[in-house]
Amino acid sequence: MTRDAKLLVSARHLTLMVISFAMLVPFYWVTRTAVTNENIYAYPPSLLPRDAHLFNFVDVWYLIPFPRYLVNSVIVSTIAVIGNVIFNAMAGYALTRQFTGRRVVLALFLSCMLIPFQATIIPAYLITARMGLLNTYLGLAFPMLSTIVCIFVFKSAFEAVPKSLVDAARIDGLTEWRIIVRVLLPLSKPAIATNVILTFIWSWNNFLWPLLITRDPNMQTLPLGLARFLSYMEDTTGALYAFAVMVLAPSILVFLMAQKEFIRGLTSGATKG
Amino acid sequence: MKIQSWATSRWVIVPGGMTLFTLIWLAYVAGHNHGIVDGRVVDAAGQPVSGASVLLFERGFVTHQERGHATSDAQGMFRFTDNRSHSIQLEAEAPGRGRTDRRIVRLWFAAQDVKLAEPLRFAAVK
Repeated sequence: MTRDAKLLVSARHLTLMVISFAMLVPFYWVTRTAVTNENIYAYPPSLLPRDAHLFNFVDVWYLIPFPRYLVNSVIVSTIAVIGNVIFNAMAGYALTRQFTGRRVVLALFLSCMLIPFQATIIPAYLITARMGLLNTYLGLAFPMLSTIVCIFVFKSAFEAVPKSLVDAARIDGLTEWRIIVRVLLPLSKPAIATNVILTFIWSWNNFLWPLLITRDPNMQTLPLGLARFLSYMEDTTGALYAFAVMVLAPSILVFLMAQKEFIRGLTSGATKG
Repeated sequence: MKIQSWATSRWVIVPGGMTLFTLIWLAYVAGHNHGIVDGRVVDAAGQPVSGASVLLFERGFVTHQERGHATSDAQGMFRFTDNRSHSIQLEAEAPGRGRTDRRIVRLWFAAQDVKLAEPLRFAAVK
């Protein structure tokens, strides 16, 4: 490598490091405020935490029913993740098959992605109410049970599996269900990881839908608890930021655990060969 | 001995480690959450003050409410046995001595047993 090329690589790395650092600043600031009681509007702000402690997290745990919100969020996200993997795998597999009207279905799916959830929230609410799922865990997870983006992730992952393998499985007598479970899903782990991460984060951070369909405070999830906490505290104390950190931590953990497969899942099918 | 590949997966190690940590923490909490708060009351010279009235305030959402009352003995010692909060304040009062500053005591879990490292101290009588 020539000297100029080395300099270019170093400059690129330096730029990327600066951008990464800039993106991490808000997370650092939230965490720093969570472990101190410093007002975020304090001037001049201190870059490093002074008199850091973890008691704000203890306050959050006891001042509001945090464990209840946490359990609710975990249950709802788990239902959403399981539903997504099952239904999206089925839909993704169907879209790899040839059938009459396949192009129409694909076009319909793609066009539906253009419609924001806020526009369909009233029909979604009415359907959920008709099914008697208001104020239930299943109702909270209901609109997240299948998402079009994740269907396409499975579709592209299944299309990357050699057709001869599926044909061989069919000749061996496997049914369509077993082809998905025994052949395609084990070869599509990155797609599963992508589904898990995206669905978990979407479900975990979902605010509007739980706000609409929960009646009982005991059914509220963490984002609703955060809003409730904010309405009580009404200032910029460390406890509020400790709550934000406690809400963020699980989704960051899930992402970090599955990031390798996640990136592979998103890029599979992006290149040929 | 070969360890099974699933056992070394991060999907097993991370949740397993978190579960183990939680269980150990819960066991520790279960053994130390009797709500006992021990402390001492002294005067400005560091001598024990007997008969001082010690008040325990429990944290609510934005204020502290009085929740308990104890009296110091001849050695200036006092004890609360029914604290249920994770964040309390303590204050002592005695005739002719006024009041001590309120001591903020923050605990790691509700009803944690605690012994004050520093006594509640009355200011010098003028």
